[in-house]
Amino acid sequence: MDDFFFSLLLAGISVGAVYALIALGLNLTFWTTKTLNFGQGSLMMLCAMLTVFISSQGLAITLAVVGSLAVVAALGVFIERWTVRPALESSGGSMGWVVSTLGFGIFLQGMAAKYFGSQAVAFPDVVFTAQDFVTVFGQYISLQYLVVLAVAVALILAFELFIRRTVWGQAVHAVSLDPELALVQGIPVRRLILGSFMLSSILAGVAGVLIAQIGGTVDPAFGFDLVLLGFVAAVLGGMGSSLGALAGGLLVGVISKLVGGYVSTAAEHGIAFALLMLALAVRPQGLFGRPEVSKA
Amino acid sequence: MKINRRSLALGAAALTLPGLVRAQSGTIKFGFTAALTGPFNEFGEGINRGAQIAVEECNKAGGINGRMVELAEVLDDQLVPDRAVQNLRRILDNREIVGLMCPSGSGPTLAIADMIQADGRPIINPQAQTPTIVYPNGPDKPPRPNLFSISIGNLVESEKLAAALSEFTRIGILHESTGYGVTGADLVRREIMRRKPAARVTVESYNQRAQDMTAQLVRVQRANAEAMLVIGLGADFAVIRRNMSRLNINLALFGAAGAVTVPYIEGAGDLVAGTRAVNHAAFGRRPMHGAAQKFADLYRAKFGTDRWYGPDAANPLISLAGTVGSGYDCINLLIDAIRRVNSTAAADVVRALDQTKDYEGATISRISFTSQNHVALKLEDLGTYEMLKRGDRVVLELRD
Repeated sequence: MDDFFFSLLLAGISVGAVYALIALGLNLTFWTTKTLNFGQGSLMMLCAMLTVFISSQGLAITLAVVGSLAVVAALGVFIERWTVRPALESSGGSMGWVVSTLGFGIFLQGMAAKYFGSQAVAFPDVVFTAQDFVTVFGQYISLQYLVVLAVAVALILAFELFIRRTVWGQAVHAVSLDPELALVQGIPVRRLILGSFMLSSILAGVAGVLIAQIGGTVDPAFGFDLVLLGFVAAVLGGMGSSLGALAGGLLVGVISKLVGGYVSTAAEHGIAFALLMLALAVRPQGLFGRPEVSKA
Repeated sequence: MKINRRSLALGAAALTLPGLVRAQSGTIKFGFTAALTGPFNEFGEGINRGAQIAVEECNKAGGINGRMVELAEVLDDQLVPDRAVQNLRRILDNREIVGLMCPSGSGPTLAIADMIQADGRPIINPQAQTPTIVYPNGPDKPPRPNLFSISIGNLVESEKLAAALSEFTRIGILHESTGYGVTGADLVRREIMRRKPAARVTVESYNQRAQDMTAQLVRVQRANAEAMLVIGLGADFAVIRRNMSRLNINLALFGAAGAVTVPYIEGAGDLVAGTRAVNHAAFGRRPMHGAAQKFADLYRAKFGTDRWYGPDAANPLISLAGTVGSGYDCINLLIDAIRRVNSTAAADVVRALDQTKDYEGATISRISFTSQNHVALKLEDLGTYEMLKRGDRVVLELRD
């Protein structure tokens, strides 16, 4: 295979897998509340910055990652309780949650800047360094890229299995279809909603750690662009679909890199949003989504 | 009571007179807007620290002809041009401000340049690199009358970088998509082509804070580049260096002055070894010239061996010159000009700055301006450094 094409493809798959993780996180809260947490980018940043901070205190990097994920999981509960629920309850389903989740994200950025400083700080290598790679058929494949891909695909497949094969997964599915009916049938809707925000935040944290080790630095503004690309991936794949999130993320990642490599690097970022516009015009429900049907 | 024009004029004079007297006898006030917070605050907070040291040093020595100096307006723009414009409006509304310093980057500085030129008060540029800041109509035309620069300008830097890259024929340039990056890349490319018409230069851009630069790097690699120059800031340079390692791209790597800062060293770790960069020569020479050594000692006494200074007390980071020292020099140049003319009137201070000759600054050993030349930095003030790993530390050694 052509080295040039292969390098672009691998990088596209790797960053696309991160977009997919973010898209899956957005999907989780969409399933249970029909809302998206636009503060996901800040949770990615916070998890990465906390990992740096905790590991700098002498703790092992894996413990630092776990501790940081616990903090962002707790913040997920906070976001549901104090930004999404009041907005949904007070305005009967208006779009107030968009502003409140985004606002909370900006607040987190400010807090991170205050307590960790606003400059980029070095992110430690979690498993492999940028110099670790394997050679397959003469091609260098970075182990960091492989880890990102493996973790993202494994998590997405696990979620898909969870939704399809477990009772709790079926309960989530029921809540996504009709939360009131699910409540009548004894499904613990509130716990499921809280759980979806916790898991969504954990996914954001994992995505943050994975992408921070690729870049090598993290700062309070980290994550904002990535959540936009995750949103594009979610819409492209079909809002609410795990496999759609994976397909959408990989598509955005690979097409962006190929356009950047073969056409122009200046067009690399813009192509994702061109894809979004195209998807909304041609197939609004996305690749794996189903069109919504309203019954009178 | 009957109020006529004369009594109104007298009243107005009575109201303004105390202010005038106060302005004459009170402190001499300076102001500036810079990125004091935000992701680029290593530059803005840096010049703020430099300015503080200059003011304290001046006041300890008795001020300017007996009057103390003060940083009266120091505002934060986070390197956002719109905010820099708003801040400067507020600073210029304060008529007691007699001298200013430009913001940290080219974007904010270009945004405020026309406004400050129209105002007429003297301003000195510590860090912004784009040549049009000083010479809006081209470098062969007269400069803005009241705007002076001690920064590493793109023109001189491109000459030094092109000289450093002259041993290579196929060269890649990766630049950030800002005014600083675009202008810098264009100037270096032109200078390389002027020196070596047979050279092949591949130019690629990236957006600040991008987390993956694979597309740019493989395009440079496909052009069979032997060397690559990065014109951007340190955190992005770290992403590029790590990305090169993942792609097993081994080129001779060069960085512009803005790139070889602490975030690059921290973010890229051991990979920085071998990177060559152009920066102020003053802090790389041993012994350092007097003003540079005095500034380094003052900084260490006030702030310690921190992120800007670096961990080695005997050897401050080379980037300390550009991030902090330039702020120190700007305020000292204003102080020196006011002292020489014994006036704070804008026209007098500008005239005195025009006559600055061989002033010993911390970052540039001999600073001179004339009415036609408002850029102090010369080719010999820059050095080419190589990054080396010594034990657990990264050091920059002056090569040329």
